[in-house]
Amino acid sequence: MAELHLRIVTPDRTIVDRKVAGVRFAGIDGSYGILPHHAPLMTAIAQAGTVQITELDGKEIDLFASDGFAQVQNNVLTLVCEAGEFAHEIDLERVKAAEQKAREKLAGLDRLSTEFVKAEAALRKALAREMLARKGSGSTTLS
Amino acid sequence: MANLKELRGRIKSVASIAQITRAMEMVASMKLRKVQAKAQSFHPYTEEIRYMIERISGKVASEGDVPLFTRREVQTVGILVITSDRGLCGSYNSNLLFGLKRYADELIAAGKKVKFWCYGRKGYAWLTRRGFEVERFFVEPPLDRADFTAAKMIGQALVEAFTDGTIDEAKLYYTRFVSMIKFAPTNEGFLPISTIEVGKGAGDSSYDLDFLLEPDAAAVFNRLMPRYLETVVFDAMLQSLTSEHASRRMAMKGATDAAVRMNKGLKKIYNRARQENITKELLDIVGGASAVS
Repeated sequence: MAELHLRIVTPDRTIVDRKVAGVRFAGIDGSYGILPHHAPLMTAIAQAGTVQITELDGKEIDLFASDGFAQVQNNVLTLVCEAGEFAHEIDLERVKAAEQKAREKLAGLDRLSTEFVKAEAALRKALAREMLARKGSGSTTLS
Repeated sequence: MANLKELRGRIKSVASIAQITRAMEMVASMKLRKVQAKAQSFHPYTEEIRYMIERISGKVASEGDVPLFTRREVQTVGILVITSDRGLCGSYNSNLLFGLKRYADELIAAGKKVKFWCYGRKGYAWLTRRGFEVERFFVEPPLDRADFTAAKMIGQALVEAFTDGTIDEAKLYYTRFVSMIKFAPTNEGFLPISTIEVGKGAGDSSYDLDFLLEPDAAAVFNRLMPRYLETVVFDAMLQSLTSEHASRRMAMKGATDAAVRMNKGLKKIYNRARQENITKELLDIVGGASAVS
């Protein structure tokens, strides 16, 4: 079976550095699916994105990854992102608190201000994390 | 002798000073290790960002697309000063601030305005005491718990000031960690970006230039730049923190050694005085006994 080497790098640590069968992630201009031997590519990852890894044995793993870049070269896919965590690492309580805070902030802001954009981004991230955490708790695919 | 008691007190206090400085030395070396580990795990991220920039910089057409590279006439210079929150770390802060003062004076003499951004309480206190205008003092998170989010916040503040015209140039003033016993105060250009070349012919041509770019080079590049600047700020923070802890460790080691030495000397004096006392008493007794018999 064809293999793709996946590396996910964040400022704190390198989360993933191993062979996988395929990866799907959200780019700024749409969804990407990267399979082994993809052509060289460079793009940016969505502000609040999710990454889905298909393992060599067909299992699927979800990750949260935000504010980053993806590049493919020599059959190595590197995702460089500011935050990244596995679905089972997400603390649902904390995410909910973040969501609440972002919503409260949004309510009192002018739609055109930069604060509004920032709060909106925070809300998106919280929602993406929440979705993953819920999905993760119900599935058995997590290692 | 009356000063026996006094000596005993001094010996005691010097010993407890040695104990405290030894503890501080140990704490500093532990923190040093932690910061170094942090720097280690941060390294791959910097490498990747840097690598991507080098790959893409040749594809960005001209300077017009990349505002963070555009040079303007410099009227106001913004300086980010990274110092420690606490003292007792040798000449770490004073070395940096001494150089900073000279640099700021030069700028002012040249008719430019200087604005300061501060991270670390010592620098802030120093600047305000000398009547400099501090634009913003970053209090949270404290240096000890400084993480990438902090670097991001600071980087954004500087970029914002640069893009809205508050400053025409940004500098980083921090301490670079050279070795365990050497720290170099460093003045580094931050904005406009000069460390990277853009445009045709820029970037290393040994990279495979034939790749897909989605949506286009300028869009990716302009998203990449802030990230890059954040890594630069974070690197400066980590360098400063490493220097601070190493410097404190050294200072505290010196203090411990000095205290131990002093204690030894004091003990010698004390013992001599005590012995003198005993001899005197003995002489008194012998003299008294011989007078009676």
